[in-house]
Amino acid sequence: MNAHTATHPHNRAVTLLRLILLASLLAAWEILAQSGWLYRDVVPSLLSIGCALASLLSSPDYYFHLSVTVLEIAGALAIGGTIGVLTGLVLGANPFAGRAIEPYIYYLGPTPKIIFFPIMIMWFGVGPGSKIAMGAVSCFFPIALSVAAGMRQIDPVLIRVGRSFRAQAWQMAWKIYLPAMRHPILNGVRLGLGIAIIGTLLAETKLSNRGIGHLIMRAYSVFDMPKMYALLIILFALAIGANAIVGRIGGLDTIRRS
Amino acid sequence: MTLASQPVSNIWADMPILSAKGISKKFETAEGPLIAVNNVSFDVAPGQFLSVIGPSGCGKSTLFNIIGGLTEAYDGTVTVAGETVRGPHPSIGMIFQEESTFPWRTVLDNVCFPLEISNTPKAQRVEKARHFISLVGLSGFEKRYPAELSGGMRQRVAMARTLASEPKILLMDEPFAALDEQTRLLLGDKVLQIQQQLQQTTLLITHNIAEAVQLSDRILVMSYRPGKVKRVVDIKLPRPRTSEIVTSAEFGMCVAQVWNDLREEATRGMQEAERLR
Repeated sequence: MNAHTATHPHNRAVTLLRLILLASLLAAWEILAQSGWLYRDVVPSLLSIGCALASLLSSPDYYFHLSVTVLEIAGALAIGGTIGVLTGLVLGANPFAGRAIEPYIYYLGPTPKIIFFPIMIMWFGVGPGSKIAMGAVSCFFPIALSVAAGMRQIDPVLIRVGRSFRAQAWQMAWKIYLPAMRHPILNGVRLGLGIAIIGTLLAETKLSNRGIGHLIMRAYSVFDMPKMYALLIILFALAIGANAIVGRIGGLDTIRRS
Repeated sequence: MTLASQPVSNIWADMPILSAKGISKKFETAEGPLIAVNNVSFDVAPGQFLSVIGPSGCGKSTLFNIIGGLTEAYDGTVTVAGETVRGPHPSIGMIFQEESTFPWRTVLDNVCFPLEISNTPKAQRVEKARHFISLVGLSGFEKRYPAELSGGMRQRVAMARTLASEPKILLMDEPFAALDEQTRLLLGDKVLQIQQQLQQTTLLITHNIAEAVQLSDRILVMSYRPGKVKRVVDIKLPRPRTSEIVTSAEFGMCVAQVWNDLREEATRGMQEAERLR
């Protein structure tokens, strides 16, 4: 939380409402778990989920799988993001290339990338390679599109200002284009991160021999529901944490100022 | 105080710092070629404040971009102290009509921008920037971002930024167009004060008669399409001036004189605009 919300008069009421919602959700869950209405462990008790979480967090095996998934996502974002930003810059700077190529990216973007997974397995194998490829392909599209759009939205007068002061090409890029595009680039990366996580985990749950997605499917196949929910909670925390880091790196406070 | 008005001639011929000779610019449009600026010539002497006034569509902004070196394809020559201008010239500092501060930079960093471009050492950069920030009356706002300032203050930041590059010639394109009338008058005061303090040679492009009369030593009245110099009016109001001058009888006479020349052109411009509608 930041200074803006801290000083807001409704702040306390909002926090209270959030806590009430969370508490009632947990209570409803526990009631459902204890009632016995549902088949066995479909809704396990909070205690058993807690125990599963604790035993997970104390097992070295889990940390191996966690690091695999985190590295896969980071690799996917690095590869897909770099190619996406570069593609976006080219499309944004060159109207001809933009008009020719962007429709493909635009229509391929929302297509579920999982359809490429069999190809990825053939090319990169069952291990992390195919997962990184899936994540990279997924996050490439939103990043390329938002960077291209961002480049076209730069206020032309700012470019004229730079030219009037006789800025060199690299000064224009570094001091005007990049900072002027900080919002679309950051938004693209944030969108891309979410989609890279989806792509990577989807691939892990389909066919893999390591990673959190693999652990989830293994827990599911032996019907170890408490462990499965514990893994989902970890995944949830992972996604929130990753988003927070991207927001922090991009300096959300400077975004609010303008 | 007399008001001199004469056909195009040149009494500032001794050592002009800025000189435009036979400037013409043609645009290709769907309805055929459009001559935006036709054979415009003028000289600006060191320390002189010259305004170019004309109705919308007389090629004022085209002229601004040509003199500022942002438009390359045109006929004629622009010279700064005898040197032909090709591309943005270090002696010319431009102030734009649009909102042009960098929203991601503080006031101080905005004003430092031209000094970063010219690789001025950091300490010197900050010192110089602070000087020009105080000159436009924004001391105490150095750490603010443009979004935290009013439109008039942002335009002063842009002004300080351009002044920080210490141009020999200040070139302004309707810098107050987006502001309300009162802010405009008060900013006019600021410009007068700065111009008198720095002996700053200035070329102002405007469509506002009162503004032009308040600030200028000389006004070029442009005709509507094609943009030509219709008349040169010398404003012999005393200096130093302030915005109080707008209430004087002499000021009224000058405005009437310029409006007299401009009315015909503005009417033509309006009729043309309505015809095209």
